[in-house]
Amino acid sequence: MVVQYFVPHEQSEHAKEFLLDWIIVIGIFALALGIWSLISVSMDKINKRRTNWEYSAVTLIGLVTMTFFGFTAHGDGSWWTYFIALIVLLAALWFYVQGLLSSGGKPMTNILIGAGLSAVFALITIFDNSWTFHFYTPEGLSNMMFINFFNYIMVPLQATMFALLAFFIASASYRAFRARNVLASLLLIAALIVMLRFTPGPWGDLLAKTSTWVMNVPNLAAQRAIIIGIGLGIVATALKVILGIERGYMGKG
Amino acid sequence: MKKTALALLFFLGLFSVSLAQTDTSKSSFVTPPRPVTDLTAFDSNNDHGHSITLNWTPSADDGAGAKSVISYRIMRATSAGGPFEEVGLAPAGSITFKNSSSIDPASTGFIPDHTDYYYRVDATTMDTTVISSSDIAGPVQSSGQWFNKGLYPVFWAVIIFTILTVLFVFVAKKGRDLYVRPLAGIEAVDDAIGRATEMGRPILYVMGLGTASDIATIASFTILSRVAKRVAEYQTDLIVPCYDPIVMAVAQEVVKSSYMDANRPNDYNEDDVFFITQAQFAYVGAVNGIMLRELPATNIYMGKFFAESLMMAETGVVSGSIQIAGTDEIAQIPFFVVACDYTLIGEELFAASAYLGREPLLLGSLKAQDIAKAAILVLALIGIILINFGVGQDIQWMNGFRELFKVTD
Amino acid sequence: MELFGIWIAALLTLGIYSFLYKDNPVYKATEAIFVGVSAGYWAVVYYFDNIYKKFWEGAVTSDNPDYWMYGGAVLGLLFLTRLFPKIGWISRWPLAFIVGATAGLYMVIYFVTNAMNQTASTIMDIVARNAAGEILWMDTLGTLVILVGVVTGLVYFFFSKEHKGVFGTAAKVGTWFLMITFGASFGYTVMSRMSLFIGRMDFLMSDWLHIIK
Repeated sequence: MVVQYFVPHEQSEHAKEFLLDWIIVIGIFALALGIWSLISVSMDKINKRRTNWEYSAVTLIGLVTMTFFGFTAHGDGSWWTYFIALIVLLAALWFYVQGLLSSGGKPMTNILIGAGLSAVFALITIFDNSWTFHFYTPEGLSNMMFINFFNYIMVPLQATMFALLAFFIASASYRAFRARNVLASLLLIAALIVMLRFTPGPWGDLLAKTSTWVMNVPNLAAQRAIIIGIGLGIVATALKVILGIERGYMGKG
Repeated sequence: MKKTALALLFFLGLFSVSLAQTDTSKSSFVTPPRPVTDLTAFDSNNDHGHSITLNWTPSADDGAGAKSVISYRIMRATSAGGPFEEVGLAPAGSITFKNSSSIDPASTGFIPDHTDYYYRVDATTMDTTVISSSDIAGPVQSSGQWFNKGLYPVFWAVIIFTILTVLFVFVAKKGRDLYVRPLAGIEAVDDAIGRATEMGRPILYVMGLGTASDIATIASFTILSRVAKRVAEYQTDLIVPCYDPIVMAVAQEVVKSSYMDANRPNDYNEDDVFFITQAQFAYVGAVNGIMLRELPATNIYMGKFFAESLMMAETGVVSGSIQIAGTDEIAQIPFFVVACDYTLIGEELFAASAYLGREPLLLGSLKAQDIAKAAILVLALIGIILINFGVGQDIQWMNGFRELFKVTD
Repeated sequence: MELFGIWIAALLTLGIYSFLYKDNPVYKATEAIFVGVSAGYWAVVYYFDNIYKKFWEGAVTSDNPDYWMYGGAVLGLLFLTRLFPKIGWISRWPLAFIVGATAGLYMVIYFVTNAMNQTASTIMDIVARNAAGEILWMDTLGTLVILVGVVTGLVYFFFSKEHKGVFGTAAKVGTWFLMITFGASFGYTVMSRMSLFIGRMDFLMSDWLHIIK
């Protein structure tokens, strides 16, 4: 890839693109493994009845539900069979995973019950025409339930978490601004100047100008120094990886 | 008789006037401008092919002389006899034109490589029928270059840096002691692990939101391997929640081999390193939950962080943990500085693995980094002195020195 | 349906805010829902964006199949060997590939953008003049300060020398500049975080409770 940067030839650009695509393809398989990790850790907590195991169950239900919505599309017809199918699927998966994980107890019984429920699920899938599976086309992405879950669960939760930062920044400021030494005082003064730059009133203009100067001069200088340092650090680390000096990232052996 | 003569005279007069006027309108006829000369066509440099550059001397009537040229039409054909088709337009005053296309054969105007082309530049005027054609240039073929000569400075800089690194690694291998100044954040790691062992509480190691492709995450892996080895030796618990599944896989490998290095392979529990989700705030919500429930004694944040950095650090303060952070995201460093006990700023994150391991090889490469920094400082100062105290600032090579550093693709 | 959705969104919002008081069952439940739903969401989206678009359409069903993609699929399958402890070591190869390829790619890019271009920007005229050729003292002072800041900042990051003597003083000045930067970044983001909070309050007050129109 280092060579690719210097070689503008068409073939090398093609090489860069397909190498990056390979990384994405591997990432898909990795995601499957990641989801499996999440499932097995959660199931472990549930089976061993560790503290807060109920919430792991909620996590798994959320995961399966969202995935189910994403791979199915509902046409006209009753929504009842759709949700009943979802519940049956959840139950079937529960028993399957209980059977597969050794701590589940009575593995064969669990797998048999799981198989029975899967049969019920299959029957519902075949005979109910109001909804269908779509693995080869992205119709599930336009599934109303999928979109609703995204709009009314994910989006508000994301926005709220982000908004929590307001409180965190207030508490961090409170702790940080007890200026105990020169450095902390400098941090405090710079932060105050820039924070208050939009204040209206007689001081507002001066603050705005000072704030602009602070952002454009000392701030820029230190940022440049940090960026140069980071650049060299990145190059050095990358070089260590390429030359095989640094093997910590692979584990030894 | 007199009346007829007067009438005839009047008529002749009118006729002459109209004739004169017709002559005026005929004299608005545009003379053909002088043509473009010295037309050369060659394969464009330092590209991936499918591009031909044309250079020429503009027509003598472009901006001078009759000033009648308004643009240059670029004409191209596959044989010297034509037919020529227009492939581009250059405004008056131009001396060059690049006829290029994308590498996609299905695109419009695609120029295949290794095909003969002939070019002609027509100088055009206000009157679309009046043009002057240049001589034909060609045959010329486009092709891709295997080396971008415009990137020579970068190339040499990378080579020099690589040589420096190898040199210092060699020196380090010979056993020479290489001094590095103490870094508070690194020295605190040992103490923090000890503290966790005493309190019987786990250590939380967060690698951030980077992927395994981010160099900061790779640096984090190297730090994790050293932390995990110490954790294994002290038999403390380690929790590593992951945002990216590939990072999880690599982290599992790293921790497993660290436990093996510490001769405690049976203590390794694969569930210590687990995947949560790839949504930023869901991840941080879960990490916060872990902090409040497991109450780790030490939180270590190393890698790429974004807006969630402050949330995790503040929650860590609430749960009473010692916090050591390191990131190369400049926007997040202030939050870590404010909320954590120790922060590794930018380059210090990449140096951390050398510090923790104290291996000569890694210390050697750290020295190379320092030399490079010193070189940059010196070169920048030289550049500034040259620019500011040079005799006359239009001396080409002084500006050229600065231009050496500016690299544009 | 929308009303139901807004109620759910509002309750979940309040559930997250309950975290500020202390860890409680409502927050735990909200967090569990968030993790589960988001994991499922990204799994589905990632599947359709990558397996379907890139791999299925690009390599399997298209008229111009990109056979190179199969190489990626092979590496991906090797990656799955992690599930089987006996042959799990094979999965290190695709990992090594990823780390190596991107290390190479980023190495030069970062060198250019971070080191070289930044150095180029630093080499500039100290004495600023306006169009008439008069010296602009404030701008000149500014440029000098930038220069001092960059030099002392770089000196701070030197690992090989102890911070003593002249070197130590320079490093100290460097830390002052760093603190100013951190304070400025901090102050810069405070107001934007506040406005996020105002946005959520607006949702709760006007969209949910209709207290504010």
